[in-house]
Amino acid sequence: MEKDALVEELKALIIKNLKLEDMTPPDIDAAAPLFGGGLGLDSIDALELVVGLEKTYGIRIPDEDVGKEAFASVNALADYVLKNKN
Amino acid sequence: MSVRVALVTGGTKGIGREISRALSLKGMRVYMNFSGDLQAAEAARQELNAEIVRADVSDQEQVNAMISDIIKKEDRLDILVNNAGIIRDGLLMLMPAQNWHRVIEVNLNSVYYCSKAALRPMVANRWGRIINIISPSALMGRAGQTNYAASKGGVLSFTRSLAREVARYGITVNAVSPGVIETELTSTMEEKVRQEFISKIPAGRFGTPEEVARAVSFLLSDGAGYITGEYLSVDGGLT
Repeated sequence: MEKDALVEELKALIIKNLKLEDMTPPDIDAAAPLFGGGLGLDSIDALELVVGLEKTYGIRIPDEDVGKEAFASVNALADYVLKNKN
Repeated sequence: MSVRVALVTGGTKGIGREISRALSLKGMRVYMNFSGDLQAAEAARQELNAEIVRADVSDQEQVNAMISDIIKKEDRLDILVNNAGIIRDGLLMLMPAQNWHRVIEVNLNSVYYCSKAALRPMVANRWGRIINIISPSALMGRAGQTNYAASKGGVLSFTRSLAREVARYGITVNAVSPGVIETELTSTMEEKVRQEFISKIPAGRFGTPEEVARAVSFLLSDGAGYITGEYLSVDGGLT
């Protein structure tokens, strides 16, 4: 899958999994940090995303070091998914 | 009566340093344990008129060597303050095994090693005080601190059980639970995080290391000899 399309898909997945009901994909800055930034998400929300990504793409985020890399931004997450998905 | 001899683990920095200072000011012979930072330890030694002893408290051999050295020199050890501790915060689902084990080793296993080694001279003298520094995390839990809370909760249960074992020998075992205290660690906190913490503390401020040292001093005093197996919170009403 092409990265741009994946970025849009990931934004939709984030909105759905984290129940950001008043947000739309264009509201999410693909270059901004996912957690502790403008989306108002905290690190506990990351767990929801960890299991969501595992279910959707079969990628595993085993620990916080990997989590930090993968959740640095939607762009970083897309790179991580492209590199690791089955 | 001879001068009392005290060992404070992690005794050269932060809360431990203030506890060491308070005991030294009371005229006790204080041994401040440290593991890594020799420069800070040297500074504390000069300032507080106390001895420094190096040991990694998560290593039983090093602990045994440190405590037997003190006993050889002083022929006694009356007071042990188990203060050394670390945090490795993170959500459990993403917590690497080494962060779990290291926290348990440094915060919980060390209390076993140090208390075990220190008890013999206390039993022989029919007098002793052990103070274990715990945390509100042990009492109320805290997201991101399963490892730390488990270690400190373990220390609290250890405190209650050991108190029952040694009360007959004039030895008391208690815990002190400092809330958020102004130390090097909290001084680097972002203002936003700081305000968030403060909003949860009924007293509306962080505590000082001196306030923790006061509570420790009280529990070490002769007048507190009938208090054992207890914990004393110094947390501005947090818990």
